[in-house]
Amino acid sequence: MTMGRAPCAPFCGLPMATTLLRASTSDNSICIHSVGSPSNMLSFLRNHREGVTALALSPNSTCLASGSLDHSVKLYKFPGLLTWPKTRVDSTHCAIPSPAAVSTNRNRNGVDLLEMPIETIFAHSLAKQACGRTCFFILLKCQIAKQFDLQNLPISGFAVSVGSIHIAIRAVAFNKSGTILAAAGDDEGIKLVNTIDGTIARVLKGHKGSVTSLSFDPKSEYLASLDSDGTVIYWELQSGSTVHVLKAISPKNGGDMSALNILAWSPDGEMLAVPGLKNDVYMATSGLDKQILIWDVDKKQDIERQKFSECISGMAWKPHGNALAVIDFMGKYGVWESAVPLTMKSPTENIPGLHSKNGNGFVLFDEEEEPAVSGNLSDFHEDSHGEFEPPSRKRLRKHSNYDDDWEEDCNDELESIPKVESRKKASYGHKGNLNGKSGSRNMIVTAGSKMQEAFQPGATPAQPGKRHFLCYNMLGSITTMEHDGYSHIEIDFHDTSSGPRVPAMTDYFGFTMASLNENGSVFANPCKGEKNMSTLMYRPFSSWANNSEWSMRFEGEEVRAIALGNAWVAAVTSLNFLRIFSEGGLQRYILSLDGPVVTAAGYKDELAVVTHSSPSLPTDEQMLEFRVFNIAHGTQPLRGRLPLTPGSCLTWLGFSEEGHLSSFDSKGVLRVFTSQYGGSWLPLFSASKLKKPDENYWVAGLSASKLFCIVCKSPESFPQSTPKPVLTLLDLSFLLLVLTWVQRSIEERAASGHDTTSLDDEAFNLETSLDRCILRLIASCCNGDKLVRASELVKLLSLEKSVRGAIKLVTALKLPNLAERFSSILEEKLLSETSGNTVLPVRKSNSKKSEGIVPSPAHTLPSTSSASKRDDEEPCKDRDGNSKQGQSTTLGKATDVKTAVKLKADQVHSLGETKAVKVDQRHFSRPSNPFAKSASNQESSSLFDSLKKMKKGDMKDK
Amino acid sequence: MAGASEPQASAFSAAELEFLAEDEMIEIVPNLRMDQLNFISGDFGPFRPQIATQVPLWLAVALKKRGKCTIRAPEWMSVDKLAQVLEAERDSEKFQHLPFHYVEISRLLFDHAREDIPDIYMVRSLIEDIKDVRFHKIGTGLEIISRERTYALRLKNLSAMEANIVRPFVTRALETFFKLSSSEMIQESDHIPNRQPQATNRGPRRQLKDR
Repeated sequence: MTMGRAPCAPFCGLPMATTLLRASTSDNSICIHSVGSPSNMLSFLRNHREGVTALALSPNSTCLASGSLDHSVKLYKFPGLLTWPKTRVDSTHCAIPSPAAVSTNRNRNGVDLLEMPIETIFAHSLAKQACGRTCFFILLKCQIAKQFDLQNLPISGFAVSVGSIHIAIRAVAFNKSGTILAAAGDDEGIKLVNTIDGTIARVLKGHKGSVTSLSFDPKSEYLASLDSDGTVIYWELQSGSTVHVLKAISPKNGGDMSALNILAWSPDGEMLAVPGLKNDVYMATSGLDKQILIWDVDKKQDIERQKFSECISGMAWKPHGNALAVIDFMGKYGVWESAVPLTMKSPTENIPGLHSKNGNGFVLFDEEEEPAVSGNLSDFHEDSHGEFEPPSRKRLRKHSNYDDDWEEDCNDELESIPKVESRKKASYGHKGNLNGKSGSRNMIVTAGSKMQEAFQPGATPAQPGKRHFLCYNMLGSITTMEHDGYSHIEIDFHDTSSGPRVPAMTDYFGFTMASLNENGSVFANPCKGEKNMSTLMYRPFSSWANNSEWSMRFEGEEVRAIALGNAWVAAVTSLNFLRIFSEGGLQRYILSLDGPVVTAAGYKDELAVVTHSSPSLPTDEQMLEFRVFNIAHGTQPLRGRLPLTPGSCLTWLGFSEEGHLSSFDSKGVLRVFTSQYGGSWLPLFSASKLKKPDENYWVAGLSASKLFCIVCKSPESFPQSTPKPVLTLLDLSFLLLVLTWVQRSIEERAASGHDTTSLDDEAFNLETSLDRCILRLIASCCNGDKLVRASELVKLLSLEKSVRGAIKLVTALKLPNLAERFSSILEEKLLSETSGNTVLPVRKSNSKKSEGIVPSPAHTLPSTSSASKRDDEEPCKDRDGNSKQGQSTTLGKATDVKTAVKLKADQVHSLGETKAVKVDQRHFSRPSNPFAKSASNQESSSLFDSLKKMKKGDMKDK
Repeated sequence: MAGASEPQASAFSAAELEFLAEDEMIEIVPNLRMDQLNFISGDFGPFRPQIATQVPLWLAVALKKRGKCTIRAPEWMSVDKLAQVLEAERDSEKFQHLPFHYVEISRLLFDHAREDIPDIYMVRSLIEDIKDVRFHKIGTGLEIISRERTYALRLKNLSAMEANIVRPFVTRALETFFKLSSSEMIQESDHIPNRQPQATNRGPRRQLKDR
């Protein structure tokens, strides 16, 4: 039986190698896979409340133990090895442990006894004692080692507590018979503990740093230990004396305990791998270069290699076959079939000891993780001239006469250059063969990354003892902190002056999801066992009736994502139901979604739901699908695929202030949905473009031109709730957006007279700044002799004056040819404008303009007015002066990405002495960029402001 | 003493200096939504909750008093920065660079935004220490005026409050020296009160501190 350990992923293979077990500290589930098809998950075990840190199988594979951050150990009855593949059909049932066993364990020993998170579990059997009793040995985080006996478990719980060793334990090992336990940690002494009575038999002193790995030789005569300084010491157990000290033989890893070096003896006691992976005849090593190399131990040359996309954190040989199970730092795993070329000797040949060893199940985990030794390590294979010997990949032989072998080993290192040649020769020799069976050899099955779990946008992961966000949006935040079994929830609004004051609330349900808007908040918790059902609770902030908060319990299903909008609450459950409730708690609709939900977001009447549409592609791309529902009308205006950067997951979904659906992925790309090209996503922001590698952006929201996010210093990817994070504004890819949207037909929007002035002013400013950019581009195009592109750019200019400027520019640059072309473009534009239907975004309102006068805001007012009429309801609201309300209604209406600028000519009349009114016969829609709207959103400009603007307009008029 | 320079003429009171310092800009995080404020001194805002913006100190304090914002302590007011400055101040003869109104700004923030400054006690004692060290330096530095004929002083990085304290003494001392040293000026001095001795280009210029 083998077992690999990784900081993020305990990993465990069954002896017969028919099953792979996988778990991760970030996840509370244990996945059971069949080796034949690793992507095919046979079953899930979800009994832990927090991430699983350790997995161990009993040597006879009947029992599985898992340890978790939740301080508990769960034991599972595992189906008999031989029956396992046969009962695959109903394997889900087999794999589920009998609940009795779990609950017994939990009740008796779980939370109370284990006061620390569990770091590692070792399984060993006391072979010499009667009939292979199985013990699990638990290493609690840094402190205490405990042992419990499987047979005795129901009776006595932890049978033996191995003398409390009050140091941080970094490594433990059993000897073959299971009678001696060696434990070592941060102090120098290695303690040999007699497992039968739990006394400390001997303390071996000699290490300077903390010991990271221990290993007995198979005959239990020697013990090898490795410390964090890289020193390896061999101890003779009888006398307790050091036989050999090897200084700095392994890379130092300082205090970095996440990257352990682990040593292991070869099963026959002949060799010690420091660190590495050994299969008697072959040895597999991995390094920072993301490759796995298979070495022929006798010939000392590598015979096979495989490049992976991530650093390998653990691997394990299939004990009875030619395959290597591999897991990387990202939690991707797979089985490398035929790792050793088929032409070579099978790795399982001639190993008489293997079966017996399996029988007694000594934990032979051979694994290595290299700490970053040097930067050039990672690409050492690219330069084939020379130092390909990885510094940490030392192979040591241990014979009766050590010295010979140490020399040999040193030679080994020194000879690295000649070795390259020998390796090459060897590979030439095999070439024919390799080609012959390359088909079968490269059967690497990568069972891609997991499909991401459901999340709430704006939530941060729970941290013990700290307050974390359940929901953070542009309006406010909901934070929670667990304390004594119940949580304390606080709702804060960013705008303390206008937001309602909500009293803190005590939460007995343990809510993990929440959503917040102006009117209320909604909470939900996942189900935890039979007693604690999944609950949905809605809390309005103000209501005309008392006691208008309500909650809903879900039987047999679990809430996965929730969203909140204008007088509706939506919950997506584990049965893929989308349940929509009214404000009062009435269930209005139930829809069935076609995939497991990822997240949901609400905005006014709109609900966006993202679901998985299929398992991830092998190229590490998730297949997500989004739908937007309009709850008020009962329609589904949008539906489609949700694009993601390959290898990333969705981290935020929401609507911009204007109501555009937006998504943010873990690679830092923000996408906004537009109706352009029949509905597509525009990438508007990319964190990688900002060239600030030490910052992570945690999105809170966005407006038309800005992204609101919280900047987190690099290792952290999410903010803490205290101190209150401050939002940072980041620019969206502005020009790109404007350029693509400029040519679009513009929907009209009503605005009151005052708003029109400011809005138009703003739009004009934007246009001029845009034109300035384009002019600069034209200049560089001309300099770069890209004349066709320059003429295309001229067509994008929106102001007539800028076109004339461009003509002047090219004349100055002595390009008469281009100048001619430009003036023809200008003429064309003017013509098309006077004819009334504008295709091109240039305005010409009257004859004065042709003399190159800058169009004043007053002039542009009528010229931008539109013939298209709209129901009068909306402008009325706007004119009410309640700008906020007006804003919200218009926002609600502007459902698609088209942003609108609508100016009503008749309202311009009301402005009074604007003389340009006479031009208003010629209506045409002026293409303006959608960001003009952002100006209108911040409207309700002060009286002084508008007065100023009016004056300015008048003056310009004259 | 020349009768023309009365002792209080050139010195501001601390309150006046504080008033002047209130025009310095500082970053606040408002918790209200408000439009841009258009003042004669400039436009500030718009204010959006949880989004930092720059405003003059007086506005920040006014908003803070109403509980409408949190003030973000300026960068130089962190413990790290101040400890660094204090150390450098002790080691070197020169005056370290600090904001011109650092005394007043820190005072205002300590008075009105105690809870917004991280490690306030530490920051406060550090600033006190820095102030003491600098005043001591000025005091010892002024001794050299008397040693030789001095017509002007150059003090780089001196802050407003410090300059204000030494100003009456230094100007009058220099004036006196000037009068004493130039015999021909003695008669005229009664008629022409020379308030700016450094303007006359007589004698070697001396610096108080070597910069």
